[in-house]
Amino acid sequence: MIGGTAPQSSASDAQGVAIDTDVSRRSALTLLAAGAAGWALWPYAPRSRRDIPKGRKVVTYWEKWTGPEGDAIQQVVDDFNASQSRLWVHRVPVNDQDSKALVAIGGGDPPDIAGLYSYSVPQYAETGAAIPLADLGLKPDPSAYAPGVWQMLTHQGRQWAGVNTCYTIALYYNRSHFREAGLDPDKPPRTIDEFNDAAQRLTIKGPAGEITRAGFVHTLPWWWPYMWPSLFGADLYDSATNRSLFDSPACVRAFEWIGSWPTRMGREALATYISAFGRSFNGAEDPFLTGRVSMVATGPWIANFARTYAPTLDYAAVAVPVSSEIFDAARPIGLLECDVLMIPRGSPNPEAAMEFLLYTQQPRVQEQLATAHCKSSPMTAVSPAFMSSHPNRAVAVHDQIAKSSRAVVLPRCRSWKQYAILTQRAFDNVWLGANAKAELTAVNSRVQSLLDREADLRQRRGA
Amino acid sequence: MATARLHPTLRGLTWVSPWLLGFGLFMLLPITLSAWYSLTDYSLLDRPIYVGLENYRELLHDSVAHAALKNSAIFTLATVGVGTLLSLALALLLEQRLPGSEFVRAIVFLPTLVPVIAAALLWMWALNTETGSVNTILRTLHLPTPDWLGTPTGAMASIVLVSLWGIGTFVVTYAAAIRGVPVSLYEAACIDGAGPFRRLTTITLPIISPTIAFNLVMSIIWSLQAFAVPLVMTRGGPANATTTFALYVYQNAFVFGRMGYACALAWVQFLFTLVLVAGVLWASRRAVYHRGA
Repeated sequence: MIGGTAPQSSASDAQGVAIDTDVSRRSALTLLAAGAAGWALWPYAPRSRRDIPKGRKVVTYWEKWTGPEGDAIQQVVDDFNASQSRLWVHRVPVNDQDSKALVAIGGGDPPDIAGLYSYSVPQYAETGAAIPLADLGLKPDPSAYAPGVWQMLTHQGRQWAGVNTCYTIALYYNRSHFREAGLDPDKPPRTIDEFNDAAQRLTIKGPAGEITRAGFVHTLPWWWPYMWPSLFGADLYDSATNRSLFDSPACVRAFEWIGSWPTRMGREALATYISAFGRSFNGAEDPFLTGRVSMVATGPWIANFARTYAPTLDYAAVAVPVSSEIFDAARPIGLLECDVLMIPRGSPNPEAAMEFLLYTQQPRVQEQLATAHCKSSPMTAVSPAFMSSHPNRAVAVHDQIAKSSRAVVLPRCRSWKQYAILTQRAFDNVWLGANAKAELTAVNSRVQSLLDREADLRQRRGA
Repeated sequence: MATARLHPTLRGLTWVSPWLLGFGLFMLLPITLSAWYSLTDYSLLDRPIYVGLENYRELLHDSVAHAALKNSAIFTLATVGVGTLLSLALALLLEQRLPGSEFVRAIVFLPTLVPVIAAALLWMWALNTETGSVNTILRTLHLPTPDWLGTPTGAMASIVLVSLWGIGTFVVTYAAAIRGVPVSLYEAACIDGAGPFRRLTTITLPIISPTIAFNLVMSIIWSLQAFAVPLVMTRGGPANATTTFALYVYQNAFVFGRMGYACALAWVQFLFTLVLVAGVLWASRRAVYHRGA
């Protein structure tokens, strides 16, 4: 009965306590209204999927980029979706994509295609977590890519990934600061000795010894602690013998150079200076963009942030200086890394994912992405328009490093991530005053045991 | 009725079966699997390979694991020790019914409502050497301004500080326990001439000792699981100085893809926790006052 409270309509439980089973009109109407609202507002499909045209096969694409870089890859996705009428690539921005892809693939619920870093290729290849592209009909074309880039897309002779932009690390410097310090901005440092001298001259200290401007600091930003040995001609890994080379004399020399920096600049003053920046890189508070540091070793994206946060900054870039005995202007040394597209094992639509991957491998598409990211192209063929209208004034420097025969590619082994974190620990300890040789020996021993174990398991798996 | 004829045990099990199912699927099965995986090399991406006790042997030679263990021990000692003393002191103070104590109680409890990630990010700003509020205050007072997150000692002190910021829950439970102490005992003690300190050590602390023991156990467990604060604030650095054991378990499982080794680490962490908690419970048999015992 609605609206009444007649006692005869009440039920009784076993103990004889009356239970009112009536529903008032008000309650009934509220319930009905809530039901209707629920029906009307129920998200029958995620908002992001409502625009997908009917009849298209959806390709789920996980990508780590957000912000302007995310917009650029979305433009590529939109162009692909407009270029045909069978497939619809749905980009899903994913943070911490390495870990999430690992869990998704292991759990049997991967995306159709995933944007990862090139250092994941050996791990995915050796565990069969990715589909080799030849299995999906791709004929390998090494000549299409810069040699270092091709190396990163392949493992054990097979191509596992397509490239999705690459970056190299170069030395960006503030030309105005160079002029102020009596240095020629058109003749930036090329060797470590010249670099040490320039850094010293560019550093400004206050009356109490506090650093108000640093010439250069290795930890601004701190993201590539494993990069420095290459400036002294050192390799980190010998793939032929599966040996870690982190305690080689050249590596030790590099870390001794790093360890000398806080001593040279004043340990306490440098620590105070660095801590002011926290994690404020690539933003309005970036120490290079705000003129608090004169030189930084960083990637081409800094040009993108300079456009936004410091449009009047007078800067240029050059290959990171190296020790004088290995300097060769025609063959610059620099860290080369690339983002990759892989089709995971268990991908629901591998052929469709492959079609999208192939679309992205066109030089035109890579140039479009690289332009938006301020990077150089990972492809061998580069259009003249790309170079002439590129928003990064240092694109030629990055392009030369990427195509140099001495471009530094990270060790192609499964343990690399662990190795990288151990190099960070060694870097931190040396930076804080520890003995470089002892630190590097300890890390090398640990890395070697990981490599040996990896080789042993590879053998046991029959890989 | 059909259910009425069921054996009481069966009927009980039927009612709790949803929980049993959930526990079996989401707790017991993963725990059992982790014990098995700890004896294998497993990356999530390929099939596990049985390696016996190799993961545990590797742990004996893994300097980062040793550092992580040491860091967890330091963190636990600092947060449990200082946290217990501080929360007890605050609870005692709040129960003195001083003017504004309700406001202070709210202020003390407020941080527990802030999500841990947000708190960590907030403290990162506050601890910034040059522009952070902490050093600004220290500078105003002409005190040294440490590099909180840039040095091993400073970074550990910082994550301890952030963890202590959230002791409000403990303060509230201690305050509730203190309110439960019979007033007649204090009155009798006053008549006998006992001073405030004597009343604290012979009445308050013994009576609230079950709460202290419970909080000790819980804070030991939580401290040994410290993960989010070091992950956000320091990522385990500098020089692994804030890599806690839980953070290292996570790194191995989801960053390095070494699930087997991570499971071995997790079991070692579990055993350490078990031993510590068992130790506290054993000690509490004598030290804790049980009403009516």
